[in-house]
Amino acid sequence: MKIDRRSFLSLGLGVAAGSVLSPLPWKLTDDLSIWTQTWPWTPVPKDGAVHYVHSVSTLCSGGCGIQVRKVDDRAIKIEGMEGYPGSDGKACNQCLAGIQKLYGPDHIQTPLKRVGNRGEGRFAPISWDEAMSMVAEQLKKLRTEGKSQTLGCVVEREYGTIPQLFKRFAKVYGSPNFMTMPSYLDGYEQIFKIMQGEEAIPGFDLENADYILSFGSGLVEGWGSAPRMFQANSLWKEKGVPVVQFEPRLSNTAAKATQWVPINPGAEAILALGLAHVIIKENLFHYDFVNRYSARFEAWEDGQGTEQKGFKDRVLDRYDPRYVSRVTGVPSSQIEKIAREFAKAESPIALCGRGAGHTPGAIFEFHAVHALNGLVGNINRKGGVWALPKPDYIAWPEPALDEVAKKGGDTPRVDGAGTETYPAASSLTHRLPAMINDAEESPIQVLLVHGANPCYCLPDTETVRAAFEKIPCIVSFASHMDETALMADLILPDHGHLEKYQDVPAPEGLSVPVIGLARPVVAPLYDTRHVGDTVIQLAKAMGGGMADSFPWKNYEECLRKTLGQHWKTMEEKGWFSPDFSGPDWNEAFETPTRNFVFIPERYGKDTEEAGVSPIEVEGDPITFPMVMIPFDHVRIAAGPVGNAPFVMKTIEDTLLRDKDIFVQVHPKTAGKAGLEEGVLAVLSTPKGSAKVRVHVYDGIQPGLVAVPRGLGRGSGDEFMADKGVNVNRLIGPVEDPVSGLNAAWGIRANLTIA
Amino acid sequence: MKKAADHTKPKRYGMVIDLDKCTGCGACMVACFAENNIPFKKDESEKLLSITWMRVYKLSNKKKYPDTDICYLPRPCMHCEGHEGHSPCVSVCPATVTDYSTETGIVSQIYTRCFGCRYCMAACPYHARYFNWWDPVWPKGMEKMLSPDVSVRMRGVVEKCSFCYHRYQRAKDKAYVEGRTDVEEEEYQTACTQACPARAITFGDLNNPKHKVYELKQDPHAFRLLERLGTNPKVYYVSSREWVRKSGDNYLKHEEPGHIATKH
Amino acid sequence: MSALEEKTKAVSDGGGFPTLFFIIGLSLSLIVGWIIFPKLLYSKKQQPFDFNHVLHNEMVEDCQSCHFFREDGSFAGVPKLAQCVDCHMDIQGDTEDEAIFVNEYVIPGREVPWLVYSEQPDCVFFSHAAHVKAGGMDCKTCHGPIGQSTSLKPYEENRITGYSRDIWGYNIAGIKKNTWDRMKMDDCSECHVQMDVNQTSVQTEKGACFVCHK
Repeated sequence: MKIDRRSFLSLGLGVAAGSVLSPLPWKLTDDLSIWTQTWPWTPVPKDGAVHYVHSVSTLCSGGCGIQVRKVDDRAIKIEGMEGYPGSDGKACNQCLAGIQKLYGPDHIQTPLKRVGNRGEGRFAPISWDEAMSMVAEQLKKLRTEGKSQTLGCVVEREYGTIPQLFKRFAKVYGSPNFMTMPSYLDGYEQIFKIMQGEEAIPGFDLENADYILSFGSGLVEGWGSAPRMFQANSLWKEKGVPVVQFEPRLSNTAAKATQWVPINPGAEAILALGLAHVIIKENLFHYDFVNRYSARFEAWEDGQGTEQKGFKDRVLDRYDPRYVSRVTGVPSSQIEKIAREFAKAESPIALCGRGAGHTPGAIFEFHAVHALNGLVGNINRKGGVWALPKPDYIAWPEPALDEVAKKGGDTPRVDGAGTETYPAASSLTHRLPAMINDAEESPIQVLLVHGANPCYCLPDTETVRAAFEKIPCIVSFASHMDETALMADLILPDHGHLEKYQDVPAPEGLSVPVIGLARPVVAPLYDTRHVGDTVIQLAKAMGGGMADSFPWKNYEECLRKTLGQHWKTMEEKGWFSPDFSGPDWNEAFETPTRNFVFIPERYGKDTEEAGVSPIEVEGDPITFPMVMIPFDHVRIAAGPVGNAPFVMKTIEDTLLRDKDIFVQVHPKTAGKAGLEEGVLAVLSTPKGSAKVRVHVYDGIQPGLVAVPRGLGRGSGDEFMADKGVNVNRLIGPVEDPVSGLNAAWGIRANLTIA
Repeated sequence: MKKAADHTKPKRYGMVIDLDKCTGCGACMVACFAENNIPFKKDESEKLLSITWMRVYKLSNKKKYPDTDICYLPRPCMHCEGHEGHSPCVSVCPATVTDYSTETGIVSQIYTRCFGCRYCMAACPYHARYFNWWDPVWPKGMEKMLSPDVSVRMRGVVEKCSFCYHRYQRAKDKAYVEGRTDVEEEEYQTACTQACPARAITFGDLNNPKHKVYELKQDPHAFRLLERLGTNPKVYYVSSREWVRKSGDNYLKHEEPGHIATKH
Repeated sequence: MSALEEKTKAVSDGGGFPTLFFIIGLSLSLIVGWIIFPKLLYSKKQQPFDFNHVLHNEMVEDCQSCHFFREDGSFAGVPKLAQCVDCHMDIQGDTEDEAIFVNEYVIPGREVPWLVYSEQPDCVFFSHAAHVKAGGMDCKTCHGPIGQSTSLKPYEENRITGYSRDIWGYNIAGIKKNTWDRMKMDDCSECHVQMDVNQTSVQTEKGACFVCHK
């Protein structure tokens, strides 16, 4: 049999016919078409039972109440917790994206020891035992040498059991140097001390206020608890509450306000006094409050028996609208109109703390603004400013102090807070770097840092870095890599914010006291340890009296015992709100005269001089013809923790493009410097210079250069690291002569084409 | 076999966004990203390549200092009804990827059907559609945060806001299990609506007089974007500021917004 | 004979062979298509251990006792370990499968990696509630008499698509005799058209894609 062409073709035909009659081509076609729709390389999320865990997020300063949606044991989404005081069902975008911090690549996974040069970022994993004994050894050595006061602790805020554990640790160890990071709350704290004689934190009853005067506060830009402020803002819109924003730049808050009043930067205090002038002159102030519950409104006698001018006369003498108009750039007619409206409102409130409140500002500003609230009697009243007691649910027995602890504890603080110069301050951490740099040997030998990121957040980061270089031993308790952890010798990683129990007291600015409970949403992913446990164990490792002062088995026991009967409520509800009814005016003030004091003791004779001119910014006007002001943007986290990838994604392309930050300048300013939209330029200040891009913006006063805060992270995941410039690198602190707080609102600068 | 479930009344889900309340915080975007497994990459500053089903735009009145004013405008998919459901994208899709449902008024997008011709993107006047130029990548461990309710997309397909349709499905499931056939207003809310801390977004059935949106869309200050194109969008905006309302469409000098297009 | 004539002859002579070859080709490809191809197309996997539905059915009320609806309306599907451990803390009976279950899964607390025959791809949203609760359908309509099985068949996976064989059906020709023989989209839509379910698509004037796809 010969296979010729015909046979071959027949075979082919047969195969073809057979194939058609078999399922092969049809099934294959179907499968292939399905195959084109299956993408084995894209993940298929596993389905499962959905449930929610309530917690409080600590990513923002506001403390958003959250509910985390889980599918089986995976946390997949964060939403707001209904009913949580302040945030009530909502959360800020940082907290909403919190899952990315949990599963993200910069979550520290094990204790680390520095192996490279300081700040180089080279670490080697070590065991917990090794890490703990290293720290304990260092601390023991220092204590035996009698240098216990050289221990420093830096935390973000003072309240809650975790910072208090650090505070207690420092105390029984023998160091006064427990420090918190600066914020506008420091200003309010001092103001309550000097004007009301109280140890208090501010609460603003904004929901019930009916006239809002904001002296540059970024009410919808991260000031206070963000979700609470957004809701308050919407409420104002619904009720038609006037909101007046004084600010040199059209911020989001200014755009939302009923009225944006552009003002020369730094002149806020003068403006407030100008408003006070009109209110006093036209007798619009709250008679009852001012006459019966205040002091030094009228002339008074000082300790030496000399008559001093009262607040009334000082204001009437110095701050008439024409003068104020000249300094602030606000027309006097407008000053008069706003003053009248403010004074005539039922519950007017005046607020300060620039932007999101990352820098405190001058105490005169707080004084002038708070005096306005005093004039209209809106203190401890519905719709007004409340002096809330500091969270006092932590009632641990006073620790027994040994000789070393007593001696060390009595030494003056390195940052000068609470000393004769700055008696009202409890922490002046921004002064620490200069103190270290100016000393031969660093006055801080061991530094413990938790929850704070001084190497990013403090002004003049270069100086901060230099100071940190000089500290022999830095221990970081970060859960995520940050600029400060990078400078550490040892990292004892804390659990992430969704992996642990923690009490979260006092949502910022809320007018009722609240303690929230953060709780583990998922089991810890890595070889991390609760920072509370670490501190307790360190104390135990120190032995003796120190161990006795930390009688708890672990942090959870400490927390449960501290919260006592409230623990159950908090576990069920997610928070606890202690009973609070503010005292009446006759009992509210604890100054020596039991009154609201318009002119605080410490101001003395030089008050007027110091208060008259706005705080000058650093730099000479010839080399630096412009003024740089940092601004806060609600989509950029400027605190210790940077943006999660999702939040990075929301940043506008007029703020950040690729790795370039945009600075905002008025068309005239840009024109003068020969700059156009989008061009590369060099922004220089006395502190340094940086490459930036120019965004020409009509909504900013000519002569200013506005730089967004929160970019230029030197560490973290690839989504946020090395993008833009950290504005803290370009600005230095300006010390307020009375309070010691950082009063810098800007710095002189120049912007030239690159 | 029993007859299938009763047909409920046709709905037209839509939104009313109060631009006076919107502060431009971006929480709606973040909530949307997390809810819908939206990918993220190292650089998201090139906005043409950045997938944002919900995007908050910044408008300006373009006046000089100090009369400058800005306003934020969140832009989800408008779920245009067009004429009888023939919205711009639906009418050009050659692959029946995108479709208009007369049950919900939602414009759907089925990723597995899409072959990436991007006609729909050209047709959409709102830039609400996004193309996956790359495969999404989640850093190791981060795929744990993906929601099983929404399919993960791949390179080469177009995606857009679905009004969180999966939430509607879930709400319907719950209703069925509880012996109901219809979904209550509060049971079906989009992720952005739920997240908006200013409570600027209201979502519901535009056909249902009991839903809040029914009333809100009739606000004299309500407007829609590019109404005159006849896209018949289901997202309404409210602003007390005239210049904002005027930004919603292209007007000649003498024209007044709101007087031109008829309200639906 | 000329060369041309010779060739013509050869062609006409060879008349029987092309038919033979045709038949050979036909039968070969039929064998390949009907017998070899399906064997090649599917890979067989065994379940972690065997399971007897009949035995369990005697002890519970109905399918939903184990395959239940959650409160939020979602369907739990294959039971989790937690549901089984109440009875299976210790080894029940003396089968080898029971020993595997208890020793390898119950004691270490590991979920059993069951292979789900009816697993639909990720792009499918299937609502059990809509079908069982609202539509009043029984399990058998789609899943067949699996409740009467005493052991588990091997799981067959399509090497090209990665889908379970139950989706296309065991009949390689794709012919179905029972409603539960196949679970492809056509089968869904056939029923949806019949029942007039959600025929709300503007594009197709039939079922809207979003009803079942995500």
